[in-house]
Amino acid sequence: MDDMIRLQQVHKQFGKGKQLVTAVKEADLAIRRGEAFGLVGESGSGKSTIGKMLIGLESPTAGAITYLDRPLWDKGQYRSPRPGEIQIVFQDPQSSLDPRMTVKDIIVEPLHALPSAERKEKGTQARLVSLLRRVGLKEEHLSRHPHEFSGGQRQRIAIARALITDPSFLVLDEPTSALDVSVQAQVLNLLKELQKERNLTYLFISHNMAVIRYMCDRVAVMYKGHIVEVGPARPMFREPDHPYTRILLSSLPSVYEPSVPAGGFAEPAADGGANACSFYSRCPSRQNACLQAPAFAEKETGWSSACHFRGGRAHV
Amino acid sequence: MLLEIKDLSVEFHGMRGTMKALHNVSLSVDKGEIVGIVGESGSGKSVTALSVLGLLDKNAVVTSGEIRYAGRNLLALGKKEKQAVRGKQIGMVFQEPMTALHPTMRVGKQLAQVIKRHRGVSGQEAERLAVHALREVHIHDPELVARKYPFELSGGMRQRVVIALAMAAPPELLIADESTTALDVTIQHEILKLMKELSERRGTSIVFITHDLGIVAQLCDRVAVMYAGEVVETGSTADVLRSPQHPYTQALLHALPDLADPDEPLLAIGGEVPDLRRRPAGCSFASRCSRATEECRLGKPRLEERKPGHEVACWKGADGSHG
Repeated sequence: MDDMIRLQQVHKQFGKGKQLVTAVKEADLAIRRGEAFGLVGESGSGKSTIGKMLIGLESPTAGAITYLDRPLWDKGQYRSPRPGEIQIVFQDPQSSLDPRMTVKDIIVEPLHALPSAERKEKGTQARLVSLLRRVGLKEEHLSRHPHEFSGGQRQRIAIARALITDPSFLVLDEPTSALDVSVQAQVLNLLKELQKERNLTYLFISHNMAVIRYMCDRVAVMYKGHIVEVGPARPMFREPDHPYTRILLSSLPSVYEPSVPAGGFAEPAADGGANACSFYSRCPSRQNACLQAPAFAEKETGWSSACHFRGGRAHV
Repeated sequence: MLLEIKDLSVEFHGMRGTMKALHNVSLSVDKGEIVGIVGESGSGKSVTALSVLGLLDKNAVVTSGEIRYAGRNLLALGKKEKQAVRGKQIGMVFQEPMTALHPTMRVGKQLAQVIKRHRGVSGQEAERLAVHALREVHIHDPELVARKYPFELSGGMRQRVVIALAMAAPPELLIADESTTALDVTIQHEILKLMKELSERRGTSIVFITHDLGIVAQLCDRVAVMYAGEVVETGSTADVLRSPQHPYTQALLHALPDLADPDEPLLAIGGEVPDLRRRPAGCSFASRCSRATEECRLGKPRLEERKPGHEVACWKGADGSHG
């Protein structure tokens, strides 16, 4: 398997003592070259923390992260494979673009991390203009400031900034969540086209399952720091294996008839203890067996989940 | 008809010119009905809600129309009279529950204050009713929650408290402006279920303002689709979402990723919303509409009934012919 990124037993903790929060627990993931990999979960599930560990903004507390089989983190130091190889697009283009910089300065800024020869080669006016046109902006926009643009246009600027260094891997952290539906569709389609043209690999982080399904080949579902299910997006969203994935899917309001029958959390139960499944207290199909946490196991080729049962139903 | 908005136009006067935020907006809400107002940012859906509540900014001017609530024109009321309607007859729930709650007052006390004011009961009775109100919005252990401060509660719990506050009077009409947008989908699902249940049990009418067509499908009996400060289509939720007639409604549905949708590519809507300072003379959607012709740019279409209860503001028929 041609894995680009691999996470092995990755932990991330913030704070200490009473304030200790474990944001990511025992995460195992592999992202293949050329795919769009989705990471879905609710607020606080740890999905953005994983994105930040890949780009170098947070270091893992334990575990290994490799990029093309070379460790990304070494003794708390981020070892970039090559400056600009991994880039990110954030959710809110309002706060991720410096309001005092011109569009040109914003887009070429990542080049400062590159060796001077490469910087010159990648920073030519012709290359800049063609990139700008490709993301749907015009040459005359180069001298303007972010406030002169709409939300969708600002996100196009952020995409151009991420692409100027010719990355192979992009972390997209809720890139369209702040946009209107009609504009979201423009940006999603642009990202799809760019992925094909430039042979990019995406980690697409979102709370919106419909967007993930539209964009991604494979997807991982996170709940309170745990990865509870990983599998191929389409079949998994039709017949989710983990009860939490099922609840997540049935909660998303749909214009059409729901594809997954409605179901909700169970009334919170007493904590099952330290060994219990992470979803024990809210799981609608919990059993005594769940007091012992299930292993994260492969159920079908390329489809794994952390549940004792298949399809959340009580037969083993 | 409980609420009837007729030909409402609102302008905002600013340093950079006059913005025509609403243009001839008409909308009605019957008793016990849940009506959705759906639109993208800048479509005027929130301005419509604020007009009903009499909470428009000082630089806003109502240039035409009226808002009739239970037979009275709300726009003609004085400040005191408006305050009497607000809260008691019309409740409101906004997007961010933290900003709607007093940060340093226990939740139970906040509720008791509102109940005391609107129902004229004793302090002790109000506190008892406050606990009851928390139970009504399905909060477990309401006695315990009543003693907590807002910061001690989760987002979903806070929004339940805000709903309990809005429903405390109890009002006949609840206006909810993006009330679940800041919440996780699983929590949103529960809050929407709660609102529907409260509406059914007490006969409360709800105006639900949202950008999410999925929520409209799940919650609303009728819907008004707004674009650039105008209602472009209105009708029963089933009619509007299953057989949309206005090109904007159709385009919006094509641009929306949906889990239950066949795997069609999303069709983005090109262009942008017109500048509300310079409203086009013709149809506001004409510049982005694939079916627009000369007549669309010249004259503004008015809402016309295509079938009983289903109104569309478009010069073209559903198939592109003259309507």
